[in-house]
Amino acid sequence: MKSRVKLSDLVPFIAFVVLFVFFSIGTKGKMLSSYSLKMLIEQSILTIISGCGVLFVVAQGSIDLTVGVNVALSGVVAMHVAHVTGQGWLMVPVALAVGLAMGLFNGFIVSKCHVPSFTLSIAMLIGVRGVVNFIQTKIGVEYVPQSMLFMTSSAFRIGAFFVIAIIMAYLFEFTKLGRYSRAIGENETTARFVGVPVDRMKIAVFALSGLMAGFGALFSMATVGGTTQTMGVFLEMKVAMGVFFGGVLVTGGSSAKFYKIILGALSITIIVYGLSLMGMSDSHISQSVEGGLLLVILFLTILANRKKTRLEVLHDGPHDVPKSPDAPQAPEAPQA
Amino acid sequence: MSESILEIRGLNKHFGPTYANRNIDFTLGRGEVHGLLGENGSGKSTLLSQIAGLYRCDSGEMSVNGEKYDPHSPLDANARGISMVMQELGVIGSLPAGVNVFLGRTGQFSKGGIVDLGEMNRAAAAVFEKWELPMPRLGRLTEGMSIEERKMIELARALSIDPEILLLDEVTQSLSLNNRNRLYELIAKFRDMGRSVIVITHDIEEMVQITDVITVLRDGEVVGRVNTKDTDPDKLRMMMVGRNISGDYYRDDNVPECDGETVLEVRGLSVPGELEDVSFDVHAGEILGFCGLSDAGIHSVGKAVFGLTGAAGTVHFLPTDAYIKSAPQALANHMGYVPKDRDNEALMIHANIRDNSVLPSVNELKGPLGLLAPGKVSSLADGIVKRFSVKTTGIRQPMDALSGGNKQKVNLGRWLAKDLRLLILDCPTRGVDVGVKAAIYSLMKEAKKTGIAVILISDELTEVLGMADRLLVMKDGRVTREIRRDEDFTEQAVIGVMI
Repeated sequence: MKSRVKLSDLVPFIAFVVLFVFFSIGTKGKMLSSYSLKMLIEQSILTIISGCGVLFVVAQGSIDLTVGVNVALSGVVAMHVAHVTGQGWLMVPVALAVGLAMGLFNGFIVSKCHVPSFTLSIAMLIGVRGVVNFIQTKIGVEYVPQSMLFMTSSAFRIGAFFVIAIIMAYLFEFTKLGRYSRAIGENETTARFVGVPVDRMKIAVFALSGLMAGFGALFSMATVGGTTQTMGVFLEMKVAMGVFFGGVLVTGGSSAKFYKIILGALSITIIVYGLSLMGMSDSHISQSVEGGLLLVILFLTILANRKKTRLEVLHDGPHDVPKSPDAPQAPEAPQA
Repeated sequence: MSESILEIRGLNKHFGPTYANRNIDFTLGRGEVHGLLGENGSGKSTLLSQIAGLYRCDSGEMSVNGEKYDPHSPLDANARGISMVMQELGVIGSLPAGVNVFLGRTGQFSKGGIVDLGEMNRAAAAVFEKWELPMPRLGRLTEGMSIEERKMIELARALSIDPEILLLDEVTQSLSLNNRNRLYELIAKFRDMGRSVIVITHDIEEMVQITDVITVLRDGEVVGRVNTKDTDPDKLRMMMVGRNISGDYYRDDNVPECDGETVLEVRGLSVPGELEDVSFDVHAGEILGFCGLSDAGIHSVGKAVFGLTGAAGTVHFLPTDAYIKSAPQALANHMGYVPKDRDNEALMIHANIRDNSVLPSVNELKGPLGLLAPGKVSSLADGIVKRFSVKTTGIRQPMDALSGGNKQKVNLGRWLAKDLRLLILDCPTRGVDVGVKAAIYSLMKEAKKTGIAVILISDELTEVLGMADRLLVMKDGRVTREIRRDEDFTEQAVIGVMI
């Protein structure tokens, strides 16, 4: 047991490389063009930005499936405020504030009212989507105001993405928030007994996840050029897939690493984009392939974990070992 | 000696290239209480597990009542009248107590595919009554129960097959005095019925008290077999470690040190059903012991003082003039807490040594912009591993790969690496061998010297008597008596008050 890389940690890397090679060949090299590579990154951005807050929540062993509706709500509200007031810049603080508020609400319900995060997510998913649809029937689709059009340039978005991703990676890997979150996922009782403020940490990560959904709303509107009817639809599932595809366990803890959300999001984007490059434009087939592949990866990760355990714990030597008292590989016991 | 019931010849067991057992010869007599003694990792538990059918043997032979015995599973062992209570197996929390007694054997109460819970609970109750064990509420889920109650359920499970041979792996360490005595009575009763028991315990005094024969293991080999009446604890310790260590064990002075500056003032601490109006002071450089029977509430004191239970009353920490109401606040005020249940309450057992070591020190390690520099984190963990000589392949080794004693060194060491003023220790030597025990006692003496106030809560009376300056005896959630080290500081005096 040296500090060797664990087999289960390698699965997401191998999956990524296999997918990349497979689609590079399958698209006859089209995927390796600089345009395609740029598209890959651009299409992963939304998943990664909305996902890096969720990563904290998953690290604690909870789940946040509200990012999709949060992106929609904060985007629609922010854009409308910008249009009504005529102040384009207002969309940034409003989107972040609405996202943050919804995150705080989630965190409060989960930590103080002890509602399981999964149940809460489902309720919010349905309820808030209804609110968004109601608002959109009143105000319709709106476009990014003139003064904010700089957001839509891909150079700006990629730049902003890198800045945010680096800050989040830092928060997750090198600060108390990240470390305490992983500790809560490993064993909540232990964390509490050491003196980790568990409730406050839970509220903090849900709030952070909400804030990142606010950023997600801005990125989403910047990519499309405005709000849409399908804003954030299915995004929570893409994020969850990205996290688990990357090799984070549902129970969180030490298995949660920042690079995993990036790796997972890229893998998923490669599948979607690769399939469309190969001419499989039917989105239904693409979706079923995505689902199938997720199943395979999760199975492989669990298998790799189990193999490791079996080797360490239940190594059962051959039953009919010769009765020699000094097997050659046996270390001599020190004589006292 | 009487005829033998279990014979073992030339038993070997290896895990990969490491031998857990080498050429073990072992004989268990009928009506004999046989102790297995050895340091952590000496192969005691492996030997018991092989007898109980949990591990197959690589080579060697076993026979029960003269017939060949080669169990493939615990059920095979049960069929031959052998059952075991394991050190760390536990019960299934999401199932009620009664079901846990008949775990894996609920089929016998099944009528047309539906288990008759009433009948099963009656059968479980009969087991508790027959062996005079304290009965838990059989319909209650076990997850809310104390370690002690859970241990009793496991014991009932083992006894429910009416075994000829009972294997007990570190059972007493989870029990308080009154239930230990119950267990001793049970063992004696077993012996009188002509049945046999194999016991593992780290408490050598206890082993001498309850066994007839003791086999000592070291590094997977039998180093000796003695009749208990021909030996004493010091000789056994020497056999087991291979060197003399009795010199620096407990304290050898009788001078209480209770005049240091007061560090903590506890007034009227109450938790409904657990504690009633508990008040005491702890001073710098003092070890304040707590002892009592199982419902006395000694373990609740530690939790309540560290702000974990939201208790009524005040916990006044004088050096910073803070009133402790929550665990994060206790952590920020130079307090440390080592809970009794090491694997479930103290350590993240799947995480590595580094992550476990750093957890209480996160606030101190924080640099500008909240940075927890990886270098600082690793050197803190490395420091703990070196200073407390933790046996490990490195700080990235997962916690569950360490032995109990080494886990406890990390657990205790991560607190002592901090600038502490008060340390609460709840059963700090539970399940560790004499070597590590001695190390923990010397760490406590060291902490005392540097002026740390220590609250020592323990089920082992000898330990509290050996280490404390002052002792608070508790009964039914109240402090009933305070005894200073220079007063009547004897086991008899304390037990008199406890019961």
